[in-house]
Amino acid sequence: MIGILKGMATTMKHALDGNTFTVEYPEVAPEVSPRFRGVHKFSQERCIWCRQCEDVCPNDTIQIVMDEQRNGEEYNLHVGQCIYCRLCEEVCPVDAIILTQNFEFTADTKDEFAYNKEQLKNVPWYKGSDPLEARNPDRAAWVGEGAGEVDYQ
Amino acid sequence: MILQTESPLPDVLADLLGLSGFGVAGEFVAALIAAFIVGNVMLAMTGVAGPWAKRKITAKFTDRIAADRIGPAGIGTIPADALRLLSKELIVPEGADRPAWDIAPLIVAGSAMLGFAVIPMGSGIQLADPEVGLAYVFAVASIASLGMVMAGYASNNKYSMLGALRAVAQNLAYEIPLVVTGVSVVLFTGSLRMSEIVAAQQETLISVGGIAIPSWFAIVNPFAFVLFLAANIAEVGRNPFDIPEAPTEIVAGFQTEYSSVYFVLLYLGEFLHIFLGGAITAVLFLGGAAGPGPESIGFLWFVVKIWAFFLLTQWLRSAAPRLRIDQLIEIGWKGMLELSFLNLVLTAVIVGVVA
Amino acid sequence: MSLQEESETPEIESGETELEALLDDLIVDTDDHENAPAFVIRPDTVQETLGRLKNEAGYDHLSLVTAEEYPDRYESIYHLKKFDDPTDEVSIVVPTDSEKPVSESAEPVFRTADWHEREAYDLVGIEYDDHPDLRRILLPETWQGHPMGLDYDQDRPQMVPLRENANPLQDDHRSDADSDTMFVNIGPHHPATHGVLHLETTLDGEQVVDVEPDIGYLHRNEEQMAQNGTYRHQIMPYPDRWDYISAGLLNEWAYARAAEDLADIDVPEYAQIIRTMGAELCRIAAHMLAVGTFALDIYGDFTAIFMYAIRDREKAQNILEDLTGQRLMFNYFRLGGVVWDLPEPREEFFEKVRTFVNEIPDALEEYHDLITSNEILQMRTVGTGILPEEVAKNYGATGPVARGSGIDYDIRRDDPYGYYDELDWEVPVEDGCDNFSRLLVRMREVEESAKIIEQCVDLLEDWPEDERNIQANVPRTLRPDDDTEIYRTVEGAKGELGVYIRADGTEKPARFKIRSPCFSNLQTLPEMSNGEYIPDMIAALGSLDIVLGEVDR
Repeated sequence: MIGILKGMATTMKHALDGNTFTVEYPEVAPEVSPRFRGVHKFSQERCIWCRQCEDVCPNDTIQIVMDEQRNGEEYNLHVGQCIYCRLCEEVCPVDAIILTQNFEFTADTKDEFAYNKEQLKNVPWYKGSDPLEARNPDRAAWVGEGAGEVDYQ
Repeated sequence: MILQTESPLPDVLADLLGLSGFGVAGEFVAALIAAFIVGNVMLAMTGVAGPWAKRKITAKFTDRIAADRIGPAGIGTIPADALRLLSKELIVPEGADRPAWDIAPLIVAGSAMLGFAVIPMGSGIQLADPEVGLAYVFAVASIASLGMVMAGYASNNKYSMLGALRAVAQNLAYEIPLVVTGVSVVLFTGSLRMSEIVAAQQETLISVGGIAIPSWFAIVNPFAFVLFLAANIAEVGRNPFDIPEAPTEIVAGFQTEYSSVYFVLLYLGEFLHIFLGGAITAVLFLGGAAGPGPESIGFLWFVVKIWAFFLLTQWLRSAAPRLRIDQLIEIGWKGMLELSFLNLVLTAVIVGVVA
Repeated sequence: MSLQEESETPEIESGETELEALLDDLIVDTDDHENAPAFVIRPDTVQETLGRLKNEAGYDHLSLVTAEEYPDRYESIYHLKKFDDPTDEVSIVVPTDSEKPVSESAEPVFRTADWHEREAYDLVGIEYDDHPDLRRILLPETWQGHPMGLDYDQDRPQMVPLRENANPLQDDHRSDADSDTMFVNIGPHHPATHGVLHLETTLDGEQVVDVEPDIGYLHRNEEQMAQNGTYRHQIMPYPDRWDYISAGLLNEWAYARAAEDLADIDVPEYAQIIRTMGAELCRIAAHMLAVGTFALDIYGDFTAIFMYAIRDREKAQNILEDLTGQRLMFNYFRLGGVVWDLPEPREEFFEKVRTFVNEIPDALEEYHDLITSNEILQMRTVGTGILPEEVAKNYGATGPVARGSGIDYDIRRDDPYGYYDELDWEVPVEDGCDNFSRLLVRMREVEESAKIIEQCVDLLEDWPEDERNIQANVPRTLRPDDDTEIYRTVEGAKGELGVYIRADGTEKPARFKIRSPCFSNLQTLPEMSNGEYIPDMIAALGSLDIVLGEVDR
């Protein structure tokens, strides 16, 4: 009997102390850490069309179309199919594609989620913050000089 | 020998509306109007309890905010929920035993409403006051088990049948301790009439520092009070005795195949039963509509008491696990039965000694 | 190249000679796996070999059965370990003919082989003689072809004529005609089955006569998806999705450990500590959910305990979000280390972690008040869902399920990786063998994880700034040597999670096999619940804590 009463006392304590762990979204926006991986943003000025992102993407979400002179024509990314692993951002040597913290995106059909170059360029920053600052440290680990054999294939 | 009935509320209404001149027909119409009023009040309370109060209370226990969008403090959830539930498609399962399947929710909800007919709610509101009021209330409330079995068996679904079997086993096991404990109250009052039971609890038991503590039977015999609470919660089918509708095991028990209106009836019927259980507890053990202040606001105290019972069931829902069916039956037949008879004997001894 | 003739070969170390002496007449060939000596045997001597290894040499843990198809043959590999010493491993390779791949089943020796061989039959196509019930386990009964075989046509239509499917309206003659048992399908849509699990239950009143789990509703063939990805980058997001309930880092570690040992990559110490800290945070989150859903099964829907558990899990997930960038699918480990250092400013991060760790004892006190000291819960869980120790070993149960049955087996301590062997922590083991002990084991593990995290944070804080190496220098494309095979395990949230990789000189694995702890644990469900009541079976299922993503992969 005592155990049950202890349990009941604990829940009543929670009820009476008035704290809530939940917030009233969307009036109160949730805390999102700077490293959060949300929708991608593409920067055409920086992109050198090396196609590393397309190559590394685990489920072929990025599709790049080039013409005969190897100029980039289309850059398509299906944000509904993407698994938000951030490998594309990681291998990009020029930070042309970056995952913003923006998680609020909607569409009416699944096909509308296949963003083309223009849509990717216009993805807004979440609350206006550029997350590149928080991610800078990792670039050195990848495009860095290190002792030992590095394979540049 | 006709049950002698007084009908306080219909009489009042008949006088008010000038129907007393019409003889039996006038009384009948007045009784219908009175029943309409009482029924609506009770349904309104259930309507507030089901969609709104239950959610707010469980949210409080779990550190959440719930139901606060529509209307001030979320009260608008009630019409929204009602509209949503009623607009759903009524799916009739293939092979359901038709008249039984349709009538079962009506029985579950209706039996609770019938029980409210004899409860003295204070402020002069009581539909009827037969001499066998208490027996009537217990008898009528237990018709619900018939409804549950009908629902379970007629649904042509194995989960529903399991739920129905469990429900009937549980109800049978806990009905006797419930009635026997209730009868121990009758030993004090010497009458089955509800108004007399309430009246017998008005005397002052002891005066503590100027505050007169009335002789509510909960204070006089707390053992019986706790037993009665437990048996009542088991009858209604709430935690820790909610195995007939254990959602994590048999989906929704006997309610599995019901949707739309029937589901609303079953859902509200369950809350009506909780309120009925609270009402019986209040009348038997907590002095009915008694409370500080004038007698005309007795109805408020009555409402407070049945909502307190509702809160208790929600509290238990958040904190108490459910018993397995065989453990439950064991407790019912082996534990509660002996305790309630023991209580009866004790009460008889006390009454004999004191009186 | 067979070493059958000489039983004394001075250049081989004594352990191997003992095994060879034991299996003298059965060995056809030896192979060299990275993790264990491998012996090739004939397909009709499987039971004999495994029996000898189990009974005489003490290899009582059949960790994994890998099946693969080569161009010229099929192969089943039985990976054996000892519960007392998981570093002592041996692999038994059973090649079978390419045209008619039939080999003897290991089920009479190890019960856990039952499902593993069914999966091998299902996905690769090897048939096993003597198997009690060889049918498809992950794919539907009517599937045509074997997906992991070499000549599987993906575009082949899978529509079969109606008569091939089981008739749902047919009378069920499972039991005798006069018995009064009732057949109920629990799941796949059910509030309590922890995912899409289908339990075919035969009931006698309220007692369970027979329960048969029917899995495969969440089968995505993760193994093949990993075989289509490069080692260096593309496989790493996928392990997150095996045990998807916040144990992502533990899964990633399984893959990272296997691939790093295969390609001989050393992880710097700083990265090991960060890995350990992240993994233990994941373990806390996973166990919180396990405790919460277990309470849900016993308490009913509106219980407060589930909400409190989710709240504690949220706190862990917030920290993981700061560290890795995601709350559930982390993709944080890379081969050779981790992808990011701790978030700046470091003091703030340490502050958060320390607050979280300090709140854990109070939270656990609360859980003890609410759950373990509750008499009704004790009535429900003590003495139900019994899994005796020997049965658990035979079924290959690991993790909290095994530790709740008295088996003292924890890969973190017995086969150390990461920074575990330098830290001070204990392995909680309970002897009760019932649902209650498993619950206690999980709650104690949360305490231990908190201890580990605290020690890691202390170490990380004092780490000198110029030695903060988060990733070893790994080539961009990783091509391990041809024909090397490795099998490595880690202690995942649910038990022993293992990855077997066979490399063939390209940048993608030739065979990637996942040893899923929930798969072996789920097989023990009939043992635990035959003869018990339905509520006990549901509680047992909850205490097994399965995640269908891992069971089905």
